[in-house]
Amino acid sequence: MIKFILMVNKQGQTRLSKYYEQVELGKRAALEADVVRGCLARRKEECSFVEYKDYKLVYRQYAALFIVVGITENENELSIYELVHNFVEVLDKYFSRVSELDIMFSLDKVHIILDEMILNGHIVETNKNRILAPLLALDKMAES
Amino acid sequence: MSDVVEKTLTALPGLFDSQTGAAKITNRLRQLIKSITELTSKHEEENLIKKELSAMKEQVSSPNTTMKQMREIMVRAMYCEMLGYDASFTYIHAIKLAQQGSVLEKRVGYLAVSLFLNEGHELLLLLVNTVLKDLQSTNLIEACMALTVVAQVFPKDMIPAVLPLVEDKLSHPKEIIRRKAVLALYKFYLIAPNQVQHIHAKFRKALCDKDPGVMTSSLHIYLQLIRESPDSYKDLTGSFVTILKQVVGGKLPVDFNYHSVPAPWLQIQLLRILSLLGKEDQSTSELMYEVLDESLRRAEMNHNITYAILFECVKTVYTIHPKAELLEKAARCIGNFVLSPKINLKYLGLKALTYVVQHDAKLALQHQMTIIECLDHSDFTIKRETLELLFRITNAQNVTVIVEKMLNFLRSCNDEHTIIHLVGKVAELAEKYPFN
Repeated sequence: MIKFILMVNKQGQTRLSKYYEQVELGKRAALEADVVRGCLARRKEECSFVEYKDYKLVYRQYAALFIVVGITENENELSIYELVHNFVEVLDKYFSRVSELDIMFSLDKVHIILDEMILNGHIVETNKNRILAPLLALDKMAES
Repeated sequence: MSDVVEKTLTALPGLFDSQTGAAKITNRLRQLIKSITELTSKHEEENLIKKELSAMKEQVSSPNTTMKQMREIMVRAMYCEMLGYDASFTYIHAIKLAQQGSVLEKRVGYLAVSLFLNEGHELLLLLVNTVLKDLQSTNLIEACMALTVVAQVFPKDMIPAVLPLVEDKLSHPKEIIRRKAVLALYKFYLIAPNQVQHIHAKFRKALCDKDPGVMTSSLHIYLQLIRESPDSYKDLTGSFVTILKQVVGGKLPVDFNYHSVPAPWLQIQLLRILSLLGKEDQSTSELMYEVLDESLRRAEMNHNITYAILFECVKTVYTIHPKAELLEKAARCIGNFVLSPKINLKYLGLKALTYVVQHDAKLALQHQMTIIECLDHSDFTIKRETLELLFRITNAQNVTVIVEKMLNFLRSCNDEHTIIHLVGKVAELAEKYPFN
């Protein structure tokens, strides 16, 4: 299962965090800093998976932003690697080429999108149209 | 992404609205974000957030704060908590927002609740009435968000209060409602299995639902149920095989594709289920050989996601009752991974070898040279996976060499978890081969 998803920039600032397993508020900043440190230490030619504590991290870099997913042993690393890309493609679709600032200014909407894709640490929807449908309906209702 | 960031950053001052009372609050969120981007130290961050939290405290207690403003306050609270600062005084207002807000505000209220509160929180009880109301709403969007929050965080003891309503939604005309109802029931099963024992028949209906999304959501429950008791579900093998055949054969609408691959994560889910059903069961395994062969054949494209499917396929082929032709194809697949110049694939290949070596030690021998190379690989992750593999292929002949390699690795290792893990392995080997 997926334990958490983080979007952290190269300076170590968290732009989004979603935990699917309870992690105390006070412990999160340290975890996130540690995780991004681990990813920054990796070179371009190294693989996108890192052993971390007793689980694994799958990370993918988009410009200055790292998207890091913590997963348990039995999860398929490459499928999660591509899930991250699917997520970015959905964001690109909604924001018309998403940027770090889009994520910052529309944090609630990014969470709403993520809620459609992953629930309780499991992948529940990967069809882009179906992922965006509820949010687009909300936007339409909010406008009128 | 970066030039868009540049452009947006220079446009920031222009984004600030005029100074009316309502716009001031909108400015507050943008101001907070702007300030966050300008932070240069932890000390500055603490000051900023402290000020932010006290401003928010005032606003939430003011009778003049509208639901629209409350939504902004929730997002600011989300920011503060995301940075690690407690904003628990806002929790009750999150629930109020879900209760009283208009549709988008309500959604943000529910979102805040799902982020702030967890399973045992006392405030969750206050959410139940709002959820009950929204579940019965004629507005589908409201029913959807209620189902979503129920699937995320709901007090275990109140399940009986919502269960009939959620069950009812299983036969709703709209697929999104049926899909979310199934996921809510999955959550109930995880936290209180005895509460949902009686509706197993309804899960079967969901599995056969004409909508692929509803069928997919039922697989989460089935994977869990089958893990716990595979024998009770052997009769469903035919159904899972048929579904996988249809998916692989491209029978789903085209928007279920990801880079031209039909519903890859669904394929992976089905392969896992088949793996559990076919294990140590020849007759059940025989039902799967054809579709597994098809999956191995179809995943010929050069995309990461097809490799991910292939990996899962290979695992399944090695887990179920053996079939020579399939094993041959799977072995070739693993070979291609291990020999690949793409580092992610090499990792996958090593992982696959570690998994199959218990079934086919010869395969590891075949790739000895590559394995030995990987041992000295500069990538720590690759090295570690290789050691894991070596541990599995240790025998009386090679144990000395392998333990030596492990000890070398330990000498240069800094990570506590890895050290503990490896020392345990070395101890295991020492016990197994005491005279070497």
